[in-house]
Amino acid sequence: MQPGWLARHGLTVPVAILMLVLFLLVPLLPGEYWTQVATEILILGLFAMSFNLLYGYMGQISFGHAAFFGVGAYASAMLFTRLKTAGGEIGMLDFFLSLAAGPPVAAVAALIVGFFCVRLTGIYFAMLSLAFGELLFYIVFSWYSFTKGDDGIQGLLPPSFFQDAVNFYYLTLAIVTLALLAMWRITESPFGYIMRTLRDNQRRAAFLGINVRLHMLINFVIAGGFAGLAGALWGPFSRSVNPGLLGWQESGIAVFMTLIGGAGSIVGPMLGSVIYTMLQAVVKMYTVYWPLTIGTIILLIVLFLPGGVLGLVEKRLKARRDGDAGNREA
Amino acid sequence: MDIGPYVLQLFSGLSRAMVLFLLSAGLSLIFGVMNILNFAHATLWLLSGYLTFSIFTFLSEQLGASPWLLLPAIVGATALMALIGFALERFLIRRTYERDLPEQLLLTFALVLIIGDLIKLVWGVENRRINLGVQPVEMFDTLINPYHFVIVGSGVAVAAGLWFFLHRTRLGKIVRAAVYNRNMVSALGIPIPLIYGLVFAAGVGLAGLAGGVFLPLLPMALGVDHDVIVQCFAVVVIGGFGSMLGTFVASIIVGVVYAFSILFWPDGALAMIFLIVIVVLIWRPWGLFGTELRF
Amino acid sequence: MSAILEVTNLHKHFGGIHVTRHVNFSMQPGEQSAIIGPNGAGKSTFMNLLTGYHRSDSGKVVFEGRDITNQAPHRIARLGISRAFQVSSIFAKMSVAENVRSAVHAQMRRSFSIFGAASRIGGGETGRVLALCGLDAKRDLVAGELAQGDKKRLELAIALAGKPRLLFLDEPTAGMSIEEARGTMELVDRLNRELGLTVLFTEHDMGIVFNHARKLTLMHRGEIVVQGTPEEVRANETAQNVYLGERHV
Repeated sequence: MQPGWLARHGLTVPVAILMLVLFLLVPLLPGEYWTQVATEILILGLFAMSFNLLYGYMGQISFGHAAFFGVGAYASAMLFTRLKTAGGEIGMLDFFLSLAAGPPVAAVAALIVGFFCVRLTGIYFAMLSLAFGELLFYIVFSWYSFTKGDDGIQGLLPPSFFQDAVNFYYLTLAIVTLALLAMWRITESPFGYIMRTLRDNQRRAAFLGINVRLHMLINFVIAGGFAGLAGALWGPFSRSVNPGLLGWQESGIAVFMTLIGGAGSIVGPMLGSVIYTMLQAVVKMYTVYWPLTIGTIILLIVLFLPGGVLGLVEKRLKARRDGDAGNREA
Repeated sequence: MDIGPYVLQLFSGLSRAMVLFLLSAGLSLIFGVMNILNFAHATLWLLSGYLTFSIFTFLSEQLGASPWLLLPAIVGATALMALIGFALERFLIRRTYERDLPEQLLLTFALVLIIGDLIKLVWGVENRRINLGVQPVEMFDTLINPYHFVIVGSGVAVAAGLWFFLHRTRLGKIVRAAVYNRNMVSALGIPIPLIYGLVFAAGVGLAGLAGGVFLPLLPMALGVDHDVIVQCFAVVVIGGFGSMLGTFVASIIVGVVYAFSILFWPDGALAMIFLIVIVVLIWRPWGLFGTELRF
Repeated sequence: MSAILEVTNLHKHFGGIHVTRHVNFSMQPGEQSAIIGPNGAGKSTFMNLLTGYHRSDSGKVVFEGRDITNQAPHRIARLGISRAFQVSSIFAKMSVAENVRSAVHAQMRRSFSIFGAASRIGGGETGRVLALCGLDAKRDLVAGELAQGDKKRLELAIALAGKPRLLFLDEPTAGMSIEEARGTMELVDRLNRELGLTVLFTEHDMGIVFNHARKLTLMHRGEIVVQGTPEEVRANETAQNVYLGERHV
């Protein structure tokens, strides 16, 4: 008789605290390189966590989630471009204003897309989300007058204070941490529990009196909003945005990170981001065959480690605890 | 009115449709029977293109250049691809049958990356293309590559062959039955694992055929598979998973819509396709010819 | 006293097969009755129609004076009707307590709360239901790993957490040992007696039916053949004919 508490908060809090401490210490490393890498980890990790709201907690796989990441990036970039001076500089207030534009615009996009997607589940949900994602990609790609198409939007230079990599990093860390806390609250709320019921047994949830579509739509919008927040941070980080941010390959990154870290916990995707991004940085130093590497890793994880790294650790801990309990009873 | 460009686009669209059909037929068959959505289908198609090129080049060096060498090259590549498909099913895909959908999707997604890079490893980054040296023919005030006819012909031939196989042969009927109810088929004593292996091999073989057939038309390049796979999904969704007729009709729709969209809205041609997919998924998720049962 | 449930002329066909034929049926508040019939009689389909799982082709279903014909399942559930499924339909990856708690949250209309802490809401009611169904000791186990009998009990607990006034049970004792079955049905009796819960269940086990149902409805081929007290139905010749070769009544 094993209590299931370990499967709940068990690992989340210690892992989150450990990661936070490590993240706080990154800028102590020499040079700017690792600070930049860590910023990328945080932003993509946020994106992956927003994806996991749909996947790990609601049980649906979306291949078009990057569309909201990209919409957030573009909304933010376009406001940025409007607000900056002729000399290319932007004031502090205007900068934050442009950041704030990302999540709501992405949420609206998610509302429209989600309205249709939540009518379906499983493979059809996956296909429809993919189709919408690709549609949005092609709209951004081809609407040159509005989005500059394939050229993307350049020159997203933050205010001078945030041009310093460390300062921008800590800003990102602060925002991502707050976002993570918010997502955690949501997943541990009654709404979050209902999401899990939708993951496990949609039909039964309906018979409990749950309006399934409405709940799925709300979660879809929340997930889209957080993806938009990640996108808004991406612009000033990489100083530009491009249509590729909306494509299904970008969506795939969120999926990979979630799978590697583990979909069963709120911090899993962030852990996945750490592993994925650092692995990518290292592998690319030695070989150009990064897709082969990550593809093989994903293959192995799917076959042998579906719960990701966190899932594996939980299983080991649980097994050890079971062993102890068995010894105690003996 | 000068109908030249329209005729050209029509032929271009039809031959594109046929290639899409050959490719999507395998995808639809695999999903219909095995419930596996093979993300790597277009990547295998790409692999076949490169294989066909290599075989063709090798034969040309041995026997002297001739466009007819394309035939054995295609046959060879198709057979090789079918073998590869069989092996993939046997050693990898099979392990995911008991799993949830997302994990199955991710496995084939991973294959996209792996096979894509393997192609790069073996053949490098240059495009591969075959020039058959065939002269364009003048029709309807415009020059048309007669190879289009070959493609359309083979597309129709394969469609007819598939129809015959599925509806008139015993094995084909078993396959169709498995689409509807694999437990029942299994209960009848027919080895489902073997059927799955054959179906997957056949599906990949079809992709292989499509790759070889496509080679003289447009160059095979790294990354083309990424664009094509989403078009295949579009075809299979619009036509209905598991329905060959649906795949055929949807291929024509997608191919022709794409070709004509190029005339009016070049960058947005694919956006048009996805709009159609969205409409179909909203209005009739099981596609034009899919069975509601499956949904 | 007006009927809690009034079904008029309910009809359903799938393709050419008529699974429910112009059925008239009613229940009084506080009633505890059973629907019996051979396999394929249409008992489960009837329950599916009443709870919104299928759309009927014609007819009317009125609950507490309110027309609920062809309403969506979640709307019907909110009006005070709960059902337990024949094959236990639970939330496999959540713990037993979380299963019940989610149902409690839904009943409390708190399903949209994104800011409360779920583990601190509805604990009292969750504990009460768990204790009632004898699942207290197992509250932290993962639902998917429970034994069959426990899954059925959890099934019932989830249905009860919705504080229904009308409860449908589809073969509540299927897969249970004699001990477990007795315990479950005694619980149902208690709920009916103490809370005035109106209960309708389908059953194959005649022993259960005779000991726990005050009214029987015999269905055959989608139609109601006989209705009455268990003794009346047992003595009825048509009923005997229906069961001849199926089971000894």
